[in-house]
Formats: sequence, structure tokens, C-alpha cells
Amino acid sequence: MKKKHMDIALVVLLGALILALSVWCWVKPAGEYSDSERRVLAGFPKLSAETVLNGKFMTEFEKYTLDQFPLRDSFRTLKAVSMFGVFGRLDNNDIYIEDGYVSKLESPLNEAMVENAAQKFAGIYDKYLAGTEVNAYVSIIPDKNYFLAEQNGYPSLDYARLEQMTVGALDGKMEYIDIFPLLEIGDYYRTDTHWKQESIRDVADALANAMGADTLSEYRVKELENPFYGVYCGQSALPLDPDAIFYLTNSVIDGCTVTNYDTGMPVLSEMYDMEAAFGRDPYEMFVCGSSAFVVIENPAAESDRELVIFRDSFGSSIAPYFCEGYSKITLVDIRYMPSEMVGKFIDFDSQDVLFLYSTLVLNNSSMLK
Amino acid sequence: MLFSSIPFLYYFLPCFLILYFAAPRKLKNAVMLLGSLVFYAWGEPKYVFLMAASILAGYIFGLLIEKYRGTRAAKILLVVSVAFNLVLLGYFKYADFFIDTVNSVFRLEIPLLKVALPIGISFYTFQILSYSVDVYRGDTKAQRNIVDLAAYVASFPQLIAGPIVRYTDIEVQLASRRHSFEKTAEGVRRFVIGLAKKILIANALGELCDVFRAGDERSVMFYWLYAVAFSLHIYFDFSGYSDMAIGLGKILGFEFLENFNYPYISSSVTEFWRRWHISLGSWFRDYVYIPLGGNRVSKPRWFLNIFIVWMLTGFWHGAAWNFVVWGLWFAFFLIMEKLWLGKLLEKTKITKHVYVLVTVVISFVIFNAADMSEAIAYIGGMFGAGGIRFVDSGFVYNLRSYGLTILAACVFATPLVKNAVKKLRSGKTGARIVGVAEPVVLGALVILMTAFLVDGSFNPFLYFRF
Repeated sequence: MKKKHMDIALVVLLGALILALSVWCWVKPAGEYSDSERRVLAGFPKLSAETVLNGKFMTEFEKYTLDQFPLRDSFRTLKAVSMFGVFGRLDNNDIYIEDGYVSKLESPLNEAMVENAAQKFAGIYDKYLAGTEVNAYVSIIPDKNYFLAEQNGYPSLDYARLEQMTVGALDGKMEYIDIFPLLEIGDYYRTDTHWKQESIRDVADALANAMGADTLSEYRVKELENPFYGVYCGQSALPLDPDAIFYLTNSVIDGCTVTNYDTGMPVLSEMYDMEAAFGRDPYEMFVCGSSAFVVIENPAAESDRELVIFRDSFGSSIAPYFCEGYSKITLVDIRYMPSEMVGKFIDFDSQDVLFLYSTLVLNNSSMLK
Repeated sequence: MLFSSIPFLYYFLPCFLILYFAAPRKLKNAVMLLGSLVFYAWGEPKYVFLMAASILAGYIFGLLIEKYRGTRAAKILLVVSVAFNLVLLGYFKYADFFIDTVNSVFRLEIPLLKVALPIGISFYTFQILSYSVDVYRGDTKAQRNIVDLAAYVASFPQLIAGPIVRYTDIEVQLASRRHSFEKTAEGVRRFVIGLAKKILIANALGELCDVFRAGDERSVMFYWLYAVAFSLHIYFDFSGYSDMAIGLGKILGFEFLENFNYPYISSSVTEFWRRWHISLGSWFRDYVYIPLGGNRVSKPRWFLNIFIVWMLTGFWHGAAWNFVVWGLWFAFFLIMEKLWLGKLLEKTKITKHVYVLVTVVISFVIFNAADMSEAIAYIGGMFGAGGIRFVDSGFVYNLRSYGLTILAACVFATPLVKNAVKKLRSGKTGARIVGVAEPVVLGALVILMTAFLVDGSFNPFLYFRF
């Protein structure tokens, strides 16, 4: 082939490639939501003299073109695969895979954030619990990196320091329940941040024992007939096999009433929301998912003990374990409601109060209100 | 607008090229100007008027200087023209630096102006300055067509991050230039390679630098890893941009001069600066160094000239003391090489390369520091100051994770691959293989880079801030 022909072939091939993708960009209808990333996609920005002159249109347009690019998910997969396979990177956008488990790097320890979280808990104690007959407990849930990062050479949090800081800042106000030794990587979903409900019986027992309560005596484990593509599936953009969600059920759980006060008004719900189970994030099925204020009541409870759990999303899946030992369990998520408002909904007198937070939230505690 | 962005690659560029090639020859410069204004306004909607004012002033001064060439009036007009451009540059780029310095020295509290730096002002100001001087010297005729002059100054391939194209270099091409598949193919090749240098190498190394700067645990080796990564990062970032600019220029029928020539293989700092940012070095040589007398003066004066040029070179890069020190750092080694070091280095084989690399790597630590105290702290860290550990887990992890990219960057920073492809092309079979493989490889690169852009975040070019 003559050089001239090669040059023509090069120009035509690359020109056609760019032009084809360009035309596709122009004509492709805009999507509204990315299932893989669980977020709303950017729409075409408002075009006006003001938005053009202040540069807002251009900034938003850039986001729009990225979000609406044809075959976006496939391109993201291509990038992720090439990062690991071609460029030899150990993580892609901080996501890494080790022993078949996907996790996101969390490092370094943000001492200011940990301190902030501990002070927030101490503040809640001082405001609502001090001087009452409440029994207060605190426990920390290690994230997956605790089992995967340091051992495999990834940057890791100083978990001992995190634990020490949290407990130390609470100055003996609460009893610390150490659950670190009870967990292992197999207790977590491969593709998601969270622990698996069916695998944390020992954790629930340890927490309940420390509080002098019982957990579920017997239960069945049911499998959700919907593959669970955890949050890291979308974030990693890698072709990962889904997890399976299992959930516990028995007559006590079935007999509980679950009320969600997310909107301020009581809305009756279920322990396991099957609509959410088949929705975008099946983990949301556990006790109303990401809700600010949820109450579980067990009318068949043998005692009138009450439990209040200040929790993050890990708390949703462990809460059902406690419904046999308590007549009422209140789940409070101060990521979604200001802690100053808690007193309007709960009269603290003699309940058990458990602060149960993952290391991920403690290290990023600005989300706590 | 960034070359390495989806809006540029898949919205602006195809539309512009269709319009450009559809336009009759006479209108091509007008289309280029229009496209360049849209391109510039995309990032700097307000400052497009500032650039237009600079161009208009350059145009008028050019005509007047030519009209009065050889008279005292021409000199006055040149001085006014240069002053006008330098005042604009001084106001937008250096005002706060001077105010801050005055405040520090005299313990005053003059408020800072906090004026946003117009993108590319250092580049287009230098182009207009060189045009005015060239007209004054009689090296070129003043451009009578303002569209042609504006198309030259505002030409989007080189507008915001160089290379600094001299008017005299493209004067003829502005009036008449040839478009061909051969030239377009050369341009496409160059553009895609530049884009790959930016997206696949420079951005990754930039991430590594960000990781280092964001962390608080650093060892001696991590400091060195950062310094090496940043030196490679700035080279691939800037030379990648220059490749894209030269490639786009070729597609539009222009021949811009080379801006980089494998600077890291240099065997002296003098040679390094013949290979690094060539358009800036030659600009200072022709418009500052030689007018000051160059080397045809007494030795002390010669060294003073070098000192002035390198102080200005540093200052051109940024309104901060670390840039001035960066320039003077090179002035020191250039003078040393002229005095005795150069002859000593000539006798070595490997030492001279190690010397250049260490000198340059340390220079870029100064360059990239937030201020001089950080620069000193970082350089201290590289030599173990403060009793820091020799190795830490952050270094080990990042070396493992970015090792392949750094290795590739080291290889591509030398002409090894270019020479291998050239050798392959020289044979009949090899030429066929390259001919068939090239479009496939470049196409695959475009797809891969699109994937990186779609997944990636905003990664501005370093040289935009200059």
C-alpha cells in the first residue's frame, strides 16, 4: 500500500470514528438516571446570556456531555478494565478488588472527623441521656478495608487509633462493645459496602448480651429472588457477578409493626420492603433503608424494654435481630435528621441506647447532623 | 475549552472542521477566527473582549510602526505598543504579586486586586509583542487584514498553552496554505499521540502528585517519587498539548515549530533548554537576550544577561517567588556550565545525564510548590531532613500502582519508540505493517481515551495558568 493510501485510510478511519460518535452525541436522547451509579444524570443546561457570561452553561454542559455520552457505561467499563489490566493500577477511582471482594480505599484516618463524631455522640449523651436511667453503649463496625487493605498492601485507616479516639472521647459515658474480633470479610457482601444480615448473628448476640437482652431465638433465612448488584458494581464499572441477599424471618419479625417517620408523619411499613428489594438498591429493603426515624414495635414482646439505636445503614440489617428482646426499637439516623430534633420524638428515661456506626461514617462524620 | 474534553472532541472539533473545510479558501481565516473566539469564549466569556482589544491594538500599532519605520516615531510607537501589552499582562498577572511584595516589605495592607488571570494571556501577549518588534525591525510587513492577524493571534490550536508561534513563521501560511491528506494524516497522528500523552500518562501522574500532596505521611522515597512523577507529568502534559497544537495546526494547513525535543535525554542544562519549551526559549533569546548584548559582551555582563533572561523566564511562568527562584536555579547552572562545569561534564558518559535529571527534577519541585517555604520543605524531605523515614507504605503502594505508568513515561520521554517505528518504516515489510497497524492503534487509542474522559473528572492543563 502506498503511503498516500495509508494516509487517506488513517484520516478516513479516524475522521469517521470521531464523526460517528459526534453525531451519536448530538442525536442520542438524554437519559435521566444511571442505574449503575445510582444517581440522576445531568440534563441539558439552561441557556441564557447570564449562564453563558458567568460560565455556568459551559460548566454544566461539560457535565451533560459526560453523563449523556453514548455507551457511557461500556466506556466506563473499558476504562476500568484497562486501568487494572493494561496500566497495572491497583485501584480505579479508589475501587480495588482483593480476594473477590470489591472495596473502596479509605485512608488516611481523619482524626478531626473521628473527633467530631465522638463529640457528637457525647453531645447527644449530655443533652438527652445524662441524669436518666438510660444504659448507653457504643460499638464500631469495621468496614471491609479492615480485612482487605493493610494485609494486601493498600492504604488503610489506623483502626486501633480510630477505636481509641472514639472510646476515649466518650470518657466512659457509654460502655464500649468491641465487635471487631467477631467479624471477617465473609460477613460482607462482595460487591457492596454492607455486612450480610445472615452472617452477623454473633455480632448481634454480642451486642444483645452486653445490653442484657436476647436476640432472635430461631428464624428462617430466605433468599431474595433478585440479584444484588452492590454499590461497588456501578462505582467500579467492572463486570462483576452479583451477590445474593438473604434475610431472616420468623413469626416475631412478621408480627412486628414498622413505622417510618421520615416525613414527620407516621407511615406504616414492613420489616423488609419488597418494593425496595426489587428496586435500584435492594439493600434498602432492610427496615425502611435510608430513613431518619423508624420505629419497630413487637406487640408479642415478653418485656417492655426499649432500644434506641443511633445508626447508619449498617444498623438497618442488624435491627431485626433485636426485635424479640425489645418491645420497641427506635432507629435514628442523624445523617438525615438533626440531632437537636431527637428529643422531640423520644423521651429518654430507661431505654437501652446503642450508638452503632461504621468506621466509614466516623472517618467522614461531617455528614452527621 | 480543553482539547482533552468531550465537548472539544465530539462537539466543537467536528463542527469546526466541517465548516473550515467547507469554507472557500478566502474565508478559511475568518472561519478559524470565529472558531477560535468560540473556543476561547467557552472558557473565558468575558476576557474574549480583552483579547480582542489586544489584537486590535497590535493591529493598529503594527500599521503605524510600519508607516513610521526608520523614524523616532516608530520607536516611540513600539515602546507604547510594548508598554500597552506589558501593562495588561502586569495588571492581570502580576498586580497582586507586586502588591503582596510591597505589603510584606513595607508592612502595609494594600488590598489585593484579586483579578482572575485570563487564560493564555502570557502566550498571546508574547505573540503580539514579537509581531510588533518584528514589524519595527523590518523582519516582516504589517498585516493589513485584521482578520488574518486576529486569526494568527487567536488561533485556537496554540492560543491558550502555546507553542508561542511567531508571526514571521506563519505569515506566508496565513495568506496561502496547502491542505492535503498527507498533511492531515500527519496532523491526526500528532494530535492523537499528544492526546494520549495528556490523558493516559500526564493525568495519571498528576493523580499521583495529588495523592502525595494530600497525604500527611511522607518518606524520603515518597518525596522522590513525587518529584519524578511531577517532572514526567509536566513534560507529558505540556509536550502533549504542544503535540495536539502542532497536529491541529497541520490539519488546518499550518506548520508550527516544534516545542519539545526529548529534553530528558539532555547531557547539560544548556541542552535541556534547547529541547524544553523551545518556543519560549527562542522568544527570550531573540527579544531579550540578544538585544541585551547576548554573549558578545564582557563576561560579567554576559552572566548578567543570562541572569536577567532566566529571572524573566521564571517570572513568565507565574507571579510568585518560587517561579523566580526556579528561573534563577537554571541561570546558576547555565553560568556554571559556561564557566567550567560544561567541559567537566563532557568527559563523562552517565554522570552528565544524572546531573541534568537531578537538577531538573529538583527544579520542578520548586516550580510546583505553593511557595518557597514548601519548596524548601519538599527538597529537604528528598534528602531526609527532619529525620523522616526512608520508605513508607504510601510510597510502596503508589510505586506498585503507578510503576507501569512511570516506566512507560520514562520510555516515551526518550526517542526509543520513535526511532524503533522509524526503523520499522524504513523497510518495505515494516512500512506495510506500520501502515496497517497505525490506523487501528490510533483508533483504539481514541476509543480508550474517550473512555478515560467519560469516566474522568476535570483535568486542566498545567500551562493554562501561565
